[in-house]
Amino acid sequence: MSDILLQVDGLEAGYDDVQVLWGISLKVERGAMTTLLGANGAGKTTTLRGVIGSLRPRAGRVMFAGEDVTQLSAHAKAARGLVLVPEGRQLFSDMTVEENLEMGAYSPRARQHFKSQLEKVFSLFPRLEERRRQKAGTFSGGEQQMLAIARGLMSVPEILIIDELSLGLAPVVVQQLVETLKALKAAGVTILLVEQNLHLALALCDYAYVIAEGRPFLEGPCREVAAKPEIRQAYLGL
Amino acid sequence: MFGILASVIDGILVGAVYGLAAMGLTLIWGVMNVINLAHGAIIVIGMFLLYIIVYSLGLHPYVAIPAMIVFGFLFGIVLYWIAVHRVIGQAELMSLLSTFAVNMVLIGLGTAVWSTSPYNVPVSMPSISLHGYTFTGTHITAAIMAVVIAGLLYVLLYHTRIGKAVRAVANNREAAELTGIPTTQVLAMAFGLGVALAGVSGTLIATLFPFTVLSGDAYQLKSFVVTVLGGLGNPAGALLGGVALGLIEGLATPFMPVSWIPVVEFGLFVFCLIAFPRGIFSFTKA
Repeated sequence: MSDILLQVDGLEAGYDDVQVLWGISLKVERGAMTTLLGANGAGKTTTLRGVIGSLRPRAGRVMFAGEDVTQLSAHAKAARGLVLVPEGRQLFSDMTVEENLEMGAYSPRARQHFKSQLEKVFSLFPRLEERRRQKAGTFSGGEQQMLAIARGLMSVPEILIIDELSLGLAPVVVQQLVETLKALKAAGVTILLVEQNLHLALALCDYAYVIAEGRPFLEGPCREVAAKPEIRQAYLGL
Repeated sequence: MFGILASVIDGILVGAVYGLAAMGLTLIWGVMNVINLAHGAIIVIGMFLLYIIVYSLGLHPYVAIPAMIVFGFLFGIVLYWIAVHRVIGQAELMSLLSTFAVNMVLIGLGTAVWSTSPYNVPVSMPSISLHGYTFTGTHITAAIMAVVIAGLLYVLLYHTRIGKAVRAVANNREAAELTGIPTTQVLAMAFGLGVALAGVSGTLIATLFPFTVLSGDAYQLKSFVVTVLGGLGNPAGALLGGVALGLIEGLATPFMPVSWIPVVEFGLFVFCLIAFPRGIFSFTKA
């Protein structure tokens, strides 16, 4: 049995009267890159919000590193190393690059590693070091995504969850970020990637979960999932 | 001629204290999008704390400054949990009503204890005389303290970890939570800071002018004018806005009856809202 870092069982969640998730389950193995796929509106972001704690699950359980963290708030999870790089970057736009990174290392655990982690992040993204005093809000989309990942890394993630890595970015920028993800994976970072760009995600990952209409649709090793014809069905609703 | 200059200088000195009062309002407004209508009542608490320190405890008047900062901070945190926490992120009317209710409770209690008659705490400080005009020591001291406290607030917000967390929460609360910042605690602390600033400005005002339980309203309104001049959530802007308001008061005073001053101030308020909706001093630091 392999080492499961994050395990989600029967997650149900929603907004007000609308239930979005109807029993999502997934497992993320330590050191692997797992991906969560689905069409627009399938419930990918809601799943992440439920896992991370910015949305309280109605049912189900989230286990992280052997601990039941379902009821913990998002900041407490971040402090344990369950780190989300949110969709749309969500930077502190009025603050400098340096301040954004410093906030990434806010938890006591991350603070201890601040210096070494900052060096790592700057060697991964030299552009950020050049612009450390610039305000995040003045950056281009690609640079913002770099900073968002860098801020996530400053939290010293046990698992880095990335929501919509490629959304709204130019292909050349996406290619750079893919290289970064490969480097992170090679360095042993556990990654859960959520993507609407199916081909990108399946080319990178080890294991894939596909969800449709808030329910599990299919799962399997990425190579196998990529070859299955049903995947089109999940995306196109055919 | 020097008479006008003297009243302008005095206006600027008092204006620095208005700026300090506005900082409390604008900090809370900027960080959690709550317009604290208990602001005026909290200023009055600062005024009566001076009275208690001097007459009930027999201490030096300026002991009231650090005392108010500590008390205001703690009182603000309590107020946050009682009246603000549950209305964060709700429609603005909710927080307006909730803080207005706090305002009524505080003023009611104050009236029961001290009635609405005027109080005066004479503070003796050496004054400076120039060309037959006297600048009172209390005005100079109050202005210096206001500037020092504003400077400390700036250092806190821009050069300390917790202060940067306050700005991060103001900027994007959800993202702050994701980076591991306990945002609810940060909000409570920011509210405490805002209350401490409002209170300490009240204490300083009470060293300058007589006051009643109902004095808060006038200063609360001035704080709104200053916020409009200085822009939201910006301590430097609030100080500049306060000084500008004091300057206008100082300039206007020799030329018109005192009762016309509010007309000028609020005419300016409306003008600024129309002409500079983001505040005149609301520059973004590069």
